[in-house]
Amino acid sequence: MMRALSAAVLGVIYAFLLLPLVAVVAASLTAGELMRVPPQGLSLKWFARFLASETFREALLLSLQVAVTTVVVTVVLATLAALCHRALSRRLAATYRVAMTLPLLLPELLTAIGLLFFLNGLGLGKTLTGLQIAHVVIAFPFAFLAIVAALEQVDPAMEEASASLGAGGFGTFRRVLLPLIRPGMLTGGLFAFIVSFDMFTISLLLKPVGGNTLPLALFDFLTYDFDPTAAAAATLSVIAAVIGVLAIERMVGLKRAF
Amino acid sequence: MSCHEGRVAARAAVRRLLPRLLLGLPAVALLTLFFVLPYVEMVAMSFRAPAFGQPFGSGHTLMHYGRALGDPIYTGALLRSLLTGALITALCLVISFPLALHLSRLQGRWHVVFYACIVSPLLIGVLVRNFGWMVLVAVDGPFNRWLLAAGLIERPFRVLFTQGLVVMALVHVFTPFMVLPIATALRNVRPELRDASASLGAGGWETFRRVTLPLSFPGVQAGVTLVFVLSVAAYVTPALLGGQGIAYMPAVVVRELIGSFAWPFGAALAVIMAASTLAVVTVFTLATHRLAERTRG
Repeated sequence: MMRALSAAVLGVIYAFLLLPLVAVVAASLTAGELMRVPPQGLSLKWFARFLASETFREALLLSLQVAVTTVVVTVVLATLAALCHRALSRRLAATYRVAMTLPLLLPELLTAIGLLFFLNGLGLGKTLTGLQIAHVVIAFPFAFLAIVAALEQVDPAMEEASASLGAGGFGTFRRVLLPLIRPGMLTGGLFAFIVSFDMFTISLLLKPVGGNTLPLALFDFLTYDFDPTAAAAATLSVIAAVIGVLAIERMVGLKRAF
Repeated sequence: MSCHEGRVAARAAVRRLLPRLLLGLPAVALLTLFFVLPYVEMVAMSFRAPAFGQPFGSGHTLMHYGRALGDPIYTGALLRSLLTGALITALCLVISFPLALHLSRLQGRWHVVFYACIVSPLLIGVLVRNFGWMVLVAVDGPFNRWLLAAGLIERPFRVLFTQGLVVMALVHVFTPFMVLPIATALRNVRPELRDASASLGAGGWETFRRVTLPLSFPGVQAGVTLVFVLSVAAYVTPALLGGQGIAYMPAVVVRELIGSFAWPFGAALAVIMAASTLAVVTVFTLATHRLAERTRG
């Protein structure tokens, strides 16, 4: 009796977590003209309409461009920062780790407001460069944590062995550490991509003149229209997340990455 | 002699580690320049004089704080945001604890599957998850049709643009942030302790209340703090699902900044929001200090 009850409670909670995501994907696949769950017939026509819409296409391209740049910059910075983290004593490392993850722990809205003023002071207000910097700041902790997790799996004896065989710091990194933490770097890059691709509040306050990212375009669309094109746009995010989770599980294991 | 050797060894260690420490500089520079300084700038902005035709003027003033704290529109929105944040945090805790317990008891393949169910929403944007609720609760959406078909209601419910939906959607958004720290803390509760409690005659509920719950408290404390901080400053969800009727603090702040172009006043509102959130978190941490200490001791 108790067991059946607790199973039912858990079932309801998991349904609560997953239903909205299932609903978005289901609504995007409808063959009908209205946003409906369950869908009326199956088709991919709303994805075609999404790609045919110039607003969405431009927003998608801007989002992809910003996300790819974010990945490259973030992974390089986060790898360097994670190597530094490894060299610190335990107590210092804990403090350093919290400091590096602050952009994740403080509300995006407050960071966005601070950056709005600060970037404007630098003459970068409402520019693509400013938006790009903000995306890097917010995505950085995700990549940092993934790479730190990967480095923690590496036995320090490996580096000592490499050093005692005469390899310099860079040689040890390239030939010993890099191959070992490559999955962690890929995971970190994937996190950075997804975080940047989905970022809303930062982009709302800092977007360049005339440039909308995909989440901003989707928000505008949802406020004024409500047809399955929006579901198709949103489904892209769901697909990216599912690919991300599967890849992360294969590469480093989900539990280590979060 | 040994002192000299010590110094040589220390110098060698510094020489070995220094390049490593320098590697951290770019990231430190990035966060100092584009994270710490912007927060400083936000506080500085809140003391600037207002101006017509441009975001802020020259000179300094305290007037924005007086205006914000003296007007019930702003204090009301702030209070509503703090109370709603507390409600969301409490609801998150209620549904996260069973999830975390469930996770902590699973092994192998199933652990990965359920872990993925909880973590994957984190990788999907808030906007998309909110949109899922819009589809589900629409007047002709599945919830209303199921309830009508089951004969539980006579007319479709109007759920969109209500406070209840905003709270539910935010609980949905923040649940992973609560589950993860609690699950981590539960992993550190050794099963032998539960066995010992049971062998001393405690029932399942008593073991939970007197062993599992106190030992997982650091995780609860971390989750509660994180969810409260994030939910008070949540902007997107109320903007999309709450409609125009109810004003929460983040929407008020954004309206001042983007709509009215009143940067110093908007900054003052943001600082007030951050300071009151911090005050609530501090009170919570102090109030639960003894519970947390007991776990560590």
